[in-house]
Amino acid sequence: MICYNCGATLTHNDFCTNCGADVARYKKIVSTANLLYNEGLDKAKVRDLSGAIESLRQCLKLDKTNVDARNLLGLTYFEIGEYVLALNEWVISKNLRPSKNIADDYISLLQDNPNKLDVYSQAVKKYNQALSYCYQGSLDLAVIQLKKVLSLNPKYVQAHQLLALLYINDEQWEDAKKELIKAQKIDVGNTITLRYLNETRNILDMDDDGTLPYKGLDTKSRKSAGEGLKSKKGRETVDVYPSPSVRSSSKTSTTIINVALGILIGIAVSYLLILPARISAAREGVDESLKAAGEQLDAKTAQISSLEQDLKSSENQIDKLKEELEVYIGENGAMTAMDSLLGAVNSYLDNPDDMQAVAGYLDQIDEETLEGTSESFVTVYRLLLTKIGTDVSASYYESGMRSYQAEMFEDAIKDLTKAYSYDNSNGDALYNLGNAYRKSGDIVNAIDTYNKVIEEFPDTEMATRSQQYINELNVD
Amino acid sequence: MINFEDELKKFHPSLEIEEAEDAIYNQDLTDIADLLVGLVKEDKESQADKEEK
Repeated sequence: MICYNCGATLTHNDFCTNCGADVARYKKIVSTANLLYNEGLDKAKVRDLSGAIESLRQCLKLDKTNVDARNLLGLTYFEIGEYVLALNEWVISKNLRPSKNIADDYISLLQDNPNKLDVYSQAVKKYNQALSYCYQGSLDLAVIQLKKVLSLNPKYVQAHQLLALLYINDEQWEDAKKELIKAQKIDVGNTITLRYLNETRNILDMDDDGTLPYKGLDTKSRKSAGEGLKSKKGRETVDVYPSPSVRSSSKTSTTIINVALGILIGIAVSYLLILPARISAAREGVDESLKAAGEQLDAKTAQISSLEQDLKSSENQIDKLKEELEVYIGENGAMTAMDSLLGAVNSYLDNPDDMQAVAGYLDQIDEETLEGTSESFVTVYRLLLTKIGTDVSASYYESGMRSYQAEMFEDAIKDLTKAYSYDNSNGDALYNLGNAYRKSGDIVNAIDTYNKVIEEFPDTEMATRSQQYINELNVD
Repeated sequence: MINFEDELKKFHPSLEIEEAEDAIYNQDLTDIADLLVGLVKEDKESQADKEEK
């Protein structure tokens, strides 16, 4: 024990040997505090936690520096599920004695296990929520919430008590008793627990004795019976309650309940036996239907596949026919060629001197299309060319040369090409075609044309000149 | 007989962890020993005043 004035260690004297302060009363206070701590410790040892809390709090009111009492109070709070109060005491204790303090270990144990701390925190939050439900009258919700609380922290005495109170209010005496016994195992001396337990046991004992017929009574009867109990305390009032009318009504109602239960059981058994068979039959029916539907689906799918193939082959056939038709009626088709040839023949018969009109029709006939035409067609075509070819060639040659001299080489090339095509013996047309290509800058065609001149008309002046031009163009 | 409403009033919300800090700071830690020391000091001061007068 140290002096409150100077901090020196006190002796058996009633004054401080260091500063001379009167410490007689102070010593008495500290001694009383120690006594209360010992009392608290004894109570805690026999799990009278409420008693221990009371003694320890008294102790700390006398001497706040009693660290042992504070640590034990924290431990007791922790044991009844009030872990925040426990932490409070341990934190204060640690501040009073920073080193060699068991509170340090307690705090570390909690802080090192955040999951556990979170569970405790959740339990407290849910308990407060349950209490709030109670104030609002939502008692069913409160019961559910309290069950959750106790699953999180089974040592939460207040939660056990509140749940028991709710059960008592709902006249679920057995459940209330169970909760109260659990609470009592944690804290044997809690007066609230003891009072509720006493009340609950009284009610249950009366039921068990058969002297007070609560079982089978309706709520109204129970409540009126409960009120009777309230006015007359204890088990001495038991003899007052038995009432023949209530008892007989109890028997009748029991019979009715038994009959109803029998009917319900009968229905349940029949459902248990018949229903599975019906379900099985229904399932088989559904399976068969599904199987048939599946088969139908397969058949339809095969049919669709076959039709798709037919459609594809039909489309191919149509494309082929279109291609064939194009040969006859297309721009260069046989039919068009036929029309052009007929037009040329008609024009020639009308006016044999109008070479340009005949040539206009013959120009529309492509030499390549002759392969797909008949022999008579080719004969007529060749005959017309023989008849008019030389003249038409001369005509195109003249117009071609005019264009050439006017340096309109594109037109010249066009006309001179036709002039040579109508008369292959027209060497001048071919030679000047080469010149037109050369002057227009089309060197490739120019050389090709000059080579053709050399080949078709060898040993001529045109061939010599053509060779000269080829040489010049190759040099360039 | 237990009266539910009356009994319910005896239950109070538990402290939550968020409230722990405030609870520690606001806790009145004055004990009887503090009161005694205060009384002794007051007594000494009053005696000193009397002696001065």
